[in-house]
Amino acid sequence: MTGLRRFATNRLAVVGAVALAILVLFAVLGPLVHPTEQVATDLGAANLPPGVDGHPLGTDALGYDNLGRLMVAGRVSLLVGVLAGALATVVGTLWGAVAGYVGGVVDAVMMRVVDAGIAIPAIFLLLVLSTIVRPTVGMMIVVLGLVSWLVPARLIRAEALSVRTRDYVVAARAMGATHSRTVLSHVIPNTVGTVVVNATFQVADAILLVAYISFLGMGVQPPTTDWGAMLNDGINYIYQGAWWLILPPGLAIVIVVCALNFVGDGLRDVVDVKGRTA
Amino acid sequence: MRTTHAGRAARLAVGAAAAVALLAGCSASSGADEAAGRTDVNYALPANATPNWIVPLGIAGKLATHNSAIMRTLWEPLVAYDGSEGEVGRVATADLASDITFSDDGRSVTITLDEGRTWSDGEPVTSADVKFWFDLVRANTDVWASYSEGRMPDNVTDVATPDDKTVELTFDKVYNPEWLQASQLNLIVPLPAHAWAKTADDEEPDPALAETEKGAKAIFDYLVTQSEDLGTYETNPLWQTINGPYSLTGFSDAGQVELTRNEKYDGDDAASIDTVNLLPYTSTDAEVNAVRSGAVDYGYIPTTGLDAPEQYEQLGYAVEPWAGWSITYMPYNFNHPEMGPVYRQLYVRQALQQLVDQEQISDVIWKGAALPGYGPVPQNPESDFLSDEQKENPYPFDPEAAAALLADHGWTAGSDGVLECTAPGDGDDECGDGIEDGQQLAITILSQSGSAETDNMFAEIKSTFDQAGVAVSIESAPLNTVLSSIAPCTADQPDCDWELPFFGTAGSWYFGGYPSGERVFGTGAASNFGSYSDDEFDTLMLDSTESTDPSVMQAYSKYGAENLPVMWLPNPVYQVSVIKDGLEGTTQDPLASFHPQRWSWAG
Repeated sequence: MTGLRRFATNRLAVVGAVALAILVLFAVLGPLVHPTEQVATDLGAANLPPGVDGHPLGTDALGYDNLGRLMVAGRVSLLVGVLAGALATVVGTLWGAVAGYVGGVVDAVMMRVVDAGIAIPAIFLLLVLSTIVRPTVGMMIVVLGLVSWLVPARLIRAEALSVRTRDYVVAARAMGATHSRTVLSHVIPNTVGTVVVNATFQVADAILLVAYISFLGMGVQPPTTDWGAMLNDGINYIYQGAWWLILPPGLAIVIVVCALNFVGDGLRDVVDVKGRTA
Repeated sequence: MRTTHAGRAARLAVGAAAAVALLAGCSASSGADEAAGRTDVNYALPANATPNWIVPLGIAGKLATHNSAIMRTLWEPLVAYDGSEGEVGRVATADLASDITFSDDGRSVTITLDEGRTWSDGEPVTSADVKFWFDLVRANTDVWASYSEGRMPDNVTDVATPDDKTVELTFDKVYNPEWLQASQLNLIVPLPAHAWAKTADDEEPDPALAETEKGAKAIFDYLVTQSEDLGTYETNPLWQTINGPYSLTGFSDAGQVELTRNEKYDGDDAASIDTVNLLPYTSTDAEVNAVRSGAVDYGYIPTTGLDAPEQYEQLGYAVEPWAGWSITYMPYNFNHPEMGPVYRQLYVRQALQQLVDQEQISDVIWKGAALPGYGPVPQNPESDFLSDEQKENPYPFDPEAAAALLADHGWTAGSDGVLECTAPGDGDDECGDGIEDGQQLAITILSQSGSAETDNMFAEIKSTFDQAGVAVSIESAPLNTVLSSIAPCTADQPDCDWELPFFGTAGSWYFGGYPSGERVFGTGAASNFGSYSDDEFDTLMLDSTESTDPSVMQAYSKYGAENLPVMWLPNPVYQVSVIKDGLEGTTQDPLASFHPQRWSWAG
């Protein structure tokens, strides 16, 4: 059975992939279908309910069209999530592969660094940083990536410990391959299944982290926004019944995180040989 | 079968109705039940604003209203002047003076102290305690936050204490007696000389030490150092020597304060509530959650709550906006190394003021819980002090006029859309003195955090400014951080890098009964954060303190509105209060002080 077919047998994974594709299209191409002003405020059109004056999802306290805002916020959430997840995966993979391949004292030191990093909650570091500087999108990508690489590093290190004893790795070393060539050409490619599966979870985690810090009011500066910041703004109106300010960004976060997890499960089915029938 | 089902349904319906009625009954009676027999009150402090000062000798950045209110419960002033009884005026029951008599020539005042008043250690409150305050303040005008040159204590040429209960103050000239009571005598807080006149923990107090400038400076420094040590507030013996209706029995670094009724209080303003807990919150949201859970007896809600007050009334609260006799603004740092020369140009300030849509911000963002303010005199309620020019707004919202004003003075949009000075020089059509070629019109606002209305107000201002080519960067921080970051400075000081701070979510400056602005806008005044200096404005402020003629204050109002010493912003109510049913005596002082000694539970 091919990988694609195996993925397709996991219905939740397919649903997740479709949902993800729809959300990406919504965020990227949506503004072409429903163009709105998302930089200048319009207090004259503030707090409109859905369906009034051409605003399908109403407007927020500053007069921004809520549907349009959901789109531009989605761009930021997805962009930060994907790039931060990718950065965490790259750093974690290299760190774990080197630690597992080299072993000994180097492995011990590198993994104690990982243990120490994991002991400090990422949200704590992010909040401390947010009180010092107001983050930009670029800064959030770098910072989230740099606090999220610890778990993939552990996973890849465990894989590398196993791979380094395989015959093809030993043979490559015997034929004169350098350590860096061995790691890059033999160790990492043979852990790619774990890397890919974990990457989807990293992206989901990064999107949630963005939402956390934005919900706590420490996110990107207006007029830029993300789903977490929209949720934070909308929560002030929860008792006024302004569901359109809370439900859409909340649902978007839930859907994208669930979708990524479903896709991750599907990819695991593809790369996991255990329990596979002929 | 049908009958059986119908009967069961009916019984269920009756049972459900009874349960609902029971719950409703419990709910309806809960306010009264809770009030009966209660001896404590939980009061919510402003969001993200924690008490950080105790000695009643304020230094810059420590004059937040909650700090002052706590001090007032521990140490009574010589003359209490506030709005705790509904109107702003002297509240004789809350001060230490039994009589205040101005001399016929208006050059002196004789103040007689209440008989029988004592400190909590049993020592009598005497005229020496008043003189002790004068000695300390006179030697430390460089750090005392209420100082303004030529005002208290400079304007008192002699402090005589003919006996233990009499103080005679002689002034350097004749002043408006109303201004003296409302803005000068109310600053005096008799201090326990017998306990505080020392410079180290293990010293024996010596009141004579304060009579020398060196000694007074050393005592002041010692008291300030002690007051900076927040962790020792509840144990430091200095803060146990009090004469107010409450004592401080709990203080956490996080800002939670416990006040306990002072059993030794012998004045006329005794407390009814045994324990008052002042609770800190990091945001309005967090505080509102506490209100909804019933953990707060006297708190506040966001202005959006005014749309549907019944949601709080159903929880057993009364919703009452707390309006203040205040103004709200952002000071320009005229000494900022790069932007100072820009802010010193009146046309720049005029253009920026024209970019602030105060009416829309007040109506839409503050939901009417803020009113536009165009000058240095509080506009609500209207008074004889207000000029027509201030009332009518000399710089209404007009982005086109603002853009034209800047263009006429040599500012043109750069490649990034931000205005740049392309005509340096001090000619009529040039940028102005000190502004270099290529200087961008990019400003940084340091705003207090914790309020959605404030965040939205600055999002709106940023949007309008950006469209006009004025780049705006907004930073936010807790109120205490903002206030401690903006001391008056000179361009060569490393911490003079702040530009436009906002500390007015609950109003920036609260006046006494007389709204003269020498402490805020006077040259060299400690609370003149931006170092604004204008001889004509100084003269008008001086005149306003000496004359009872309202036209003098109107001239001051007009000049401040037209010359923009600060950026005027909508003036919010102090807060939209929610007060638990049954809590009485909560008259909301327009001077933004709270007076827990007047509170009591019904029944």
